[in-house]
Amino acid sequence: MSDLVLRNIGKTYDNGYQAIPSIDLTIEEGEFIVLVGPSGCGKSTLLRMVAGLESISQGDLLIKGDQVNNKEPAERDIAMVFQNYALYPHMSVYDNMAYGLKNRGEPKSEIETKVNAVAQMLGLEELLTRKPRQLSGGQRQRVAMGRAMVRDPKVFLFDEPLSNLDAKLRVQMRVEIRELQRKLGTTTLYVTHDQVEAMTLADRLVVLNKGHAEQVGTPMALYERPASTFVAQFIGSPSMNLIPSTIENGVLQLGVDSQLACPQFSTDKVMWGIRPEHVDIVPLQDADLSLQVKAVEALGAETLIHGSVKTSEDKLYPFVVRLSGNHAPDIGQPIGIRVPQQAWHVFDVVTTKRIEPL
Amino acid sequence: MIENRPWLTGFSHLVLVLGVLVVALPVWVAIVASTHPANAFGVGHIPLWFGDQAFANWHQVLIGKEGQASQMLRMTLNSLIMALGITFGKIAISLLSAYAIVFFRFPFRGLAFWVIFFTLMLPVEVRIVPTYEVVANLNLLNSYTGLTLPLIASATATFLFRQCFMSIPGELVEAARIDGAGPIRFFFDILLPMSRTNIAALFVILFIYGWNQYLWPLIVTTDDAYYTLVMSVKRMLSVPDGDIEWNKVMVSTLLAMIPPVLVVIGMQKLFVKGLVDAEK
Ligand SMILES: Nc1ncnc2c1ncn2[C@@H]1O[C@H](COP(=O)(O)OP(=O)(O)OP(=O)(O)O)[C@@H](O)[C@H]1O
Ligand SMILES: [Mg+2]
Repeated sequence: MSDLVLRNIGKTYDNGYQAIPSIDLTIEEGEFIVLVGPSGCGKSTLLRMVAGLESISQGDLLIKGDQVNNKEPAERDIAMVFQNYALYPHMSVYDNMAYGLKNRGEPKSEIETKVNAVAQMLGLEELLTRKPRQLSGGQRQRVAMGRAMVRDPKVFLFDEPLSNLDAKLRVQMRVEIRELQRKLGTTTLYVTHDQVEAMTLADRLVVLNKGHAEQVGTPMALYERPASTFVAQFIGSPSMNLIPSTIENGVLQLGVDSQLACPQFSTDKVMWGIRPEHVDIVPLQDADLSLQVKAVEALGAETLIHGSVKTSEDKLYPFVVRLSGNHAPDIGQPIGIRVPQQAWHVFDVVTTKRIEPL
Repeated sequence: MIENRPWLTGFSHLVLVLGVLVVALPVWVAIVASTHPANAFGVGHIPLWFGDQAFANWHQVLIGKEGQASQMLRMTLNSLIMALGITFGKIAISLLSAYAIVFFRFPFRGLAFWVIFFTLMLPVEVRIVPTYEVVANLNLLNSYTGLTLPLIASATATFLFRQCFMSIPGELVEAARIDGAGPIRFFFDILLPMSRTNIAALFVILFIYGWNQYLWPLIVTTDDAYYTLVMSVKRMLSVPDGDIEWNKVMVSTLLAMIPPVLVVIGMQKLFVKGLVDAEK
């Protein structure tokens, strides 16, 4: 049985703003689902509707088969981890974790066993008597997770839980969250705007754009076959290079000096794309396309070359090449690049949807 | 501000010392006068050093003359009941009304807010005649209820708590909801402990406010079983033949000053914390 079902869920705020027109999503037991999208796309709104903190304007929300639209958050058997942790400042770490259980009327001894077990799992045993203000950011984050875990809920909800941590801790906690979720096998809905976090954590990703699900799928599926230019640019870092082009008689007119053999598509005005890591540098005379180098970022293990491509309409489009190892092309000079056809992504210019060769 | 100019430091200290003197001198005079015989004050010069009647004066005021027991204990008790009644009544009502205004969406919420706001403009002194009328009609003259109730109804504390509650992050409220805390649990488990220092600060302010009430008790009490300490000082000053017993007046004054001082000293730490930071 599916764990969490969103059927035609929509949200219109009191002021008439339609944050989410309609979303359908079926989540299986134990799945880790990540909601990604730019700021203001409705990620938090969706999560808060599942939590019961925001009323549902339309559609049905099912948890383990029960319709829970009108249930209080506590009755939905979910647990949520907030961005700023929302720990009770006057309670000790132990009481913070125990509070939900106390309210449910569980016996003291049972609460103690549960809290201690979770504290041990998260390495919080030493901190149980401290107040939240006596903890570091990472420790607070852990306590917030502990509070969610002790209740053994049907669904975990995370709203950008790592965005207040520094980069190193973020990576560490990311790995830890993933491990814990695997171990507990609890269905999880996780909101982030960080696409690296999204890619590494998710069983399946939901890319939201202005309140609708642009694409749902495994991280690799989204990376390899993005359904629209929006997803193409959102997933992957640096994001995909996109250049508007025309296809005529089996020839792709890419740059001003570049015409490539190309299969036929249903339209001739297309948005052509390729990921920076799928581009090779070649001598100019063998090149598919020439790139005017503007800046070079040497990161040690890899080099990012930022440049621009001139189209036949005399417009300049930014283009990034990602190469492994260290390279030092001259800035201001053109370099030749090769764009292998199997790495192409082609989108309809008007609908922005992905199109495949006929 | 850190400055290192000796004359400035000296000047600041001078100002502070002068300030302390100005405030402390009347208190000093009161203490001294309470140790002199009754007539020492009326003859033109004010004594600045202790006399020899301290024991007699204090004994007379606290215990009473032979054949006439002192009312002091009774009045202190009345003052205490009134001050504490006002303090706790106000804190309780303000907490509840601020809770309603900040955390609940109900019809006419805006109206309720403005009505409460409006009472800020109507302290007891302004509405004293109609309030007296109401209290009289309810048969509350000469009762503790009549002494405290009209002073409890005012909005200042409500606003303080409103401010304090509004600074509680929304996510915390939501976390409590997810943890299954209903409105009552949330109030007692989260809200009250989090506004602990604010309550303490308000306690100090309101206790002094209540203790120092003068006009209202003067009006609603005619039975001396309900007289308060502060009132009694005034009554001792208005004796018919103008033969005021200054020594006893000063003893009563000093007695009336002690409880507020104790409250301030006892709750100083919490008081400052409540006004300065709100450990959130
Ligand atoms: N209470 C509200 N009333 C009206 N509009 C709202 C309300 N809350 C959010 N919105 C709007 O709904 C849209 C989605 O908001 P939401 O908080 O879900 O964004 P988000 O995807 O979580 O963004 P972020 O990444 O910045 O957290 C936004 O355009 C926001 O302005
Ligand atoms: Mg958000």
